[in-house]
Amino acid sequence: MTMKNRNKGQMRVIETLLASFIVVLALAFASIFATTPASQQYEATELEKIGYNVLHDLDDQGLLPRFVYNAEWSNLRSALRVTLPSDVYFNLTVYNLNSVRLDDGSVLYGEPLTLATSKHIASITYGLAGYATQIYPPRAVYEPRIVVLQLTRG
Amino acid sequence: MVNAVFDHIMALLIVGALFVGAVLVVPTMSLINLQTIDQQQLRNMALNVFNALLLDTGKPTNWGSMRDFQPNDPRVLRFGLASYEESTFYVLDPDKVQRLVKDNPLGGMDYFTVKQLLGLQGYGFSLRIIPPFNVTFSSVSVVGNTLSYSAKVSYLDGKPIPNAKVSATAVYSKGNDYFNISQSGPMETNAMGVCNGNMQLWTSTPDYYMVTLRVTVADVATLIVTSGQTFENEIANINIVGDTVVLTSTKEPPDYNQPPNENVWILDIVAFESQGILLYLYEGTKSGQNNKFNTGSGSFEVWSREFKGLHGSDPVLMIFNFWAIDPVTGQGRSQVLVTLAYPNLLGNSVFEYGGSWKNTNAAVRMQRSVSISDMTYTAELWLWKESP
Repeated sequence: MTMKNRNKGQMRVIETLLASFIVVLALAFASIFATTPASQQYEATELEKIGYNVLHDLDDQGLLPRFVYNAEWSNLRSALRVTLPSDVYFNLTVYNLNSVRLDDGSVLYGEPLTLATSKHIASITYGLAGYATQIYPPRAVYEPRIVVLQLTRG
Repeated sequence: MVNAVFDHIMALLIVGALFVGAVLVVPTMSLINLQTIDQQQLRNMALNVFNALLLDTGKPTNWGSMRDFQPNDPRVLRFGLASYEESTFYVLDPDKVQRLVKDNPLGGMDYFTVKQLLGLQGYGFSLRIIPPFNVTFSSVSVVGNTLSYSAKVSYLDGKPIPNAKVSATAVYSKGNDYFNISQSGPMETNAMGVCNGNMQLWTSTPDYYMVTLRVTVADVATLIVTSGQTFENEIANINIVGDTVVLTSTKEPPDYNQPPNENVWILDIVAFESQGILLYLYEGTKSGQNNKFNTGSGSFEVWSREFKGLHGSDPVLMIFNFWAIDPVTGQGRSQVLVTLAYPNLLGNSVFEYGGSWKNTNAAVRMQRSVSISDMTYTAELWLWKESP
């Protein structure tokens, strides 16, 4: 009788322990799904905004089409360096509609290792429809280009 | 019996340890999430504030150009720095940004008033306007009628910028009456980012000379830098509000009157546009009444004149040729004053406004490319929560 009661007591303790473990494990498991994105992911969103802002600015001034269609890669690199914050690294590539790369790979700033290994790179795709050949009467050539700008913090 | 008590004590200890562990671990896990949410909220807030600062004109839309502007003027109902004359995004009105300059002689908006207008109670912010690159003078000298200058153009990290276009404007005077302006260029910086230039002056060995360089990189970013004054300005401070040029005493009210208690005539006013064009705004004589003021008497605003279309022409530099009494010799002579149209803003240095924060981890930063007076800058906003 005494043996039986002792075993009963032990089983309850074990049950309590198991229940406690299950509760803690459930909480820990639930918290995995409740985790919000790391702040660096928001940083990438902010870099995307900076990138769009800069490309739109250059396009608005008529400089981006000039740099891209005249292959003025050195000027494009300088323009990005002075308009982007100094701690932002960039890599810009230009493609045609057949995904053929057209730039010479020099529109790049920053440590290649940082650009290659950074987990949080913002990528901005900007389209150019063509370029103007005559202002008045307005005339333009349709020759689409896809500008891809990758940004990360140095 | 003893074993049962021992079992229960053990169980109690383990359950207690589990409880303490849960109390410690679960809130920590939640705290990380809460901090992330908190930072995201701060980012959303910063984005709203930045948009309000850079995309909103404020109310009234021309609040920066209002005359008789009182410090923290109650006529400003909403705050924003965007230009009301431009439809393009991120174009700032220099008149509005100028109102953020501490000790603006024509009245400005202090940090606490701006915070209130932006609805930022409980938050702190700091706004910086950073020039796109650096230009430093290495030397300026005149031999005969040849002026030589050397300057270095570099990125903000100090690396040289080759092929930057440099145009020079020299302002010089000689004797009591001679005043002239010469321009040269553009020429390009070499691989070391250095530009060595010469220009011919219309007179030899001038008494006073100053060189202004207009430097453009890749046709996108321009900076205007001057070689520096060679005398202490005691004549007047030059301010632009809208289309009006306002001269104020160089001393603060109420004791703004200062010796020499003599008349000063304005002989020439020339504005230098951001595109490098000189605008000859005014030419006066030494006997006129419309171009005269006195540094020793009168109001704090010693002289003002409206020049229609001045604001729209994006002036970046103002050149004044005064006829004044030299306090040392007591003789009348011309005195040239060259100053940035919006001091503290369009130069080589970083413009800063707002509070200061201690913990950068608890602050968020946002940056945008902006245009002021047709020149490109980087606007940077830091926002943080202030402890109650």
